[in-house]
Amino acid sequence: MSGRLTSSNKVAVVGYAHSVVQRHNPRPLGALTVDIVREAIADAGLTPAQVDGIVAATLFPSAGSHTVEDGVHTVTTNWLAERLGASPRYVAGFQGVGQVSGSVALAVNAIVSGAADYVVLYRSLHNPRGSYHASSTDAFGGPAQWTAPTGYFGPLAMIALPYNEYLQRYGATREAMAAVLVEARKNGARIPWSYWYGKPLTAEQYLAAPTLTDPICRYDCDIPVDGVAAFVLTSADRAVDGPNRPVYVSGYAHAVPKTNNRLPLHWPLDDIMTAGLDTARRLWESAGVKPGEVDLPQMYDGFSPFVWFWLESLGLCPVGEAHRFVQDGRIDSDRPDALPILSGGGALGNGRMHGIPQMLECYLQLAGRAGDRQRAKATLAVACQSSPHYGGAVVYSVDPF
Amino acid sequence: MTAAGTAGAGTPAAEFPRPVPVPDERSAPFWAAAASHVLTAARCARCRSLAIPPDQVCPHCDATDPEFVFEPVSGRGRIRSWTVVRQSFLPGFNAELPYLLVDVELDEQQELRMIGRLLDGPDSPVRLGTPVRVAFEDLADGVSVPAFVLAGDPDSTGGSDSTGGSDSTGGSDSTGGSDPREGA
Ligand SMILES: [Zn+2]
Repeated sequence: MSGRLTSSNKVAVVGYAHSVVQRHNPRPLGALTVDIVREAIADAGLTPAQVDGIVAATLFPSAGSHTVEDGVHTVTTNWLAERLGASPRYVAGFQGVGQVSGSVALAVNAIVSGAADYVVLYRSLHNPRGSYHASSTDAFGGPAQWTAPTGYFGPLAMIALPYNEYLQRYGATREAMAAVLVEARKNGARIPWSYWYGKPLTAEQYLAAPTLTDPICRYDCDIPVDGVAAFVLTSADRAVDGPNRPVYVSGYAHAVPKTNNRLPLHWPLDDIMTAGLDTARRLWESAGVKPGEVDLPQMYDGFSPFVWFWLESLGLCPVGEAHRFVQDGRIDSDRPDALPILSGGGALGNGRMHGIPQMLECYLQLAGRAGDRQRAKATLAVACQSSPHYGGAVVYSVDPF
Repeated sequence: MTAAGTAGAGTPAAEFPRPVPVPDERSAPFWAAAASHVLTAARCARCRSLAIPPDQVCPHCDATDPEFVFEPVSGRGRIRSWTVVRQSFLPGFNAELPYLLVDVELDEQQELRMIGRLLDGPDSPVRLGTPVRVAFEDLADGVSVPAFVLAGDPDSTGGSDSTGGSDSTGGSDSTGGSDPREGA
C-alpha cells in the first residue's frame, strides 16, 4: 500500500550552486564538481566538514561507443567523497533512471533515519567529444541483438515510436509541440547559466527543422552539455537556522515499470501511461496533496513528448488532451492565469542537465531566490524527471504543512 | 573508420557492414530459424504465453523455470506505431536511409510486439492497424534478420485481412486473441 510519507516535510533544501551550462567545459568534470559542491555547501551557510552525507546518480546516458571514466565522464559519490574534505558517513548512488528525484529520496531517507545530518546532492553531466550516441559496433550480443540488427537503435527511435503512437491515436500534430519548444526556450533564454541564454526559438524555426527520426527533430531533444549542479538538504529542524528560506520535500514517487515483456528500449505508449498514472497516484499520496493544488509543476522535457506524457500522468489535463492543453498561452509563464510547466526552461531550454532544471526552478521559486524571474505566487511545486513510466517526481512546499 | 582510401573503395554498405546479431545460448534457436526465414517466438512451458525475447523469468506468469521453446509464428501482425529513420547512429544503416521502422503487434498474442524495417520503402502508406507480414533481410551467410512488408502483397499466403476489425483508434484490443494476461 502507499500513503503519505512519514518523512513528508521533515527534510528541506537549504542551499544550492550551479555551474554554467556549455557544450564543453575546459575544466575536468571532477574538479568542477568539487568546486560546485563546495559552493553549494557555503551557500547553505556550512563548511564541508559539517557535511556527512553525499548522494547522486551517475548514469552516463549515451548509447554511443564511449569509455566511461570516473571523475572524467561521470563523478561517483565515492570519487567525490575522497576529495571533498567532508566527513561522510552516508555515501550512496541512485541506480534508477529518475536520477535527481531518486537522489532526493536517498537524501530524505538518510536524514530522517539519522544516517546523515547534512546531505549534499549533485548531478554532473558530461558531453563526450564526437557523436553522442553513434556506435561503430558491427555485432550485437546481449539485449541489443534483438533490436540493433533490425534497425532499432538509439533514443530517438525509442521516443519516436510512442510519440507517433500518440499523434496517431489522438490526432495531434508536430505543430502542437511547437508551443512546448517555444515556452521552454523562451524561459531558458532568460537564464544566464543556460546554454540557450539569449537564444529563444520561434514556432517557425521549430517547424522548419528537418525531422531526424519522424516526428522528432533536433529541437525535440535536449542538447548534450557539460554542467554540474548541487543542493544541500537537512532536517526541517536544522533548516530554519540557515541563511536561506527552507524548501520542504513533501513527497516523492518513482516508477517501477515492467518491461521484461518488451524488446529492449521499446516504450509503447500504453506502457508509459499505465505505469505513469501509477507513479502519479503514489506521488500525490506520498505528499498528501492533489494535482490542482500545485502552482509550479515543472515537466520533464529531455525529449519534448515527455511533457505531454507527464501532464496527462499527473492529472494536470485529461489523457489525450495535453497536445491541446499546451496551446493558446495556457502554459505561458508570463500569464498570471496560466500553468507554468516549463518556467525553469527545462532541459530543452537549458541543456541536458537531466532533472536539475526542474528541481532548481522549484527550489529557486519556493525559496524566493529566482531574482528577476521570481513569481508572485509559488507555494507548491513538482519536479519531474525522465519518462513517467521510468523516472520519478518530487513535491516541494514552501510551508511544512 | 579510417578516412583514407574511402573514395571509390566499394559501397558505403561494404565499408560499414550492417550490424549482425551475436546469438547466445538462449537466442540461438531464434537466429537459426531466422536464417531459414522462419519467425519464431518463445513459448513458456508453464503458462503457454509467447515472449520475444525470452527473459529468465516469464513476463506473463513470473515462473523462474519457464523452459521457453521457440516455435514458429505466422509472422502476421498489425502496425501499432512507426517512424521514418533519416539519420542513423549505426553507420551500417547509412546506405539504407531513410527507412521506415514499424512497431508491430503479432497476431498470435495481444501485446506481443516486434520492431523491424518495413521493406516497402519509406513512403509506404501506413496507419495504425495496417496489416503486415514478416520478411527477412539476409545480412551474411547464415545470418538473416526479421523485417516486415505490407501484407497486401499478391504473393502473401492466405487472406490479406484475416483478423478483420477496425482499430483505427489504436486501442490494445485489436486482435481479440484469447491470450493470457499482459505484463504491464
Ligand atoms: Zn509463463
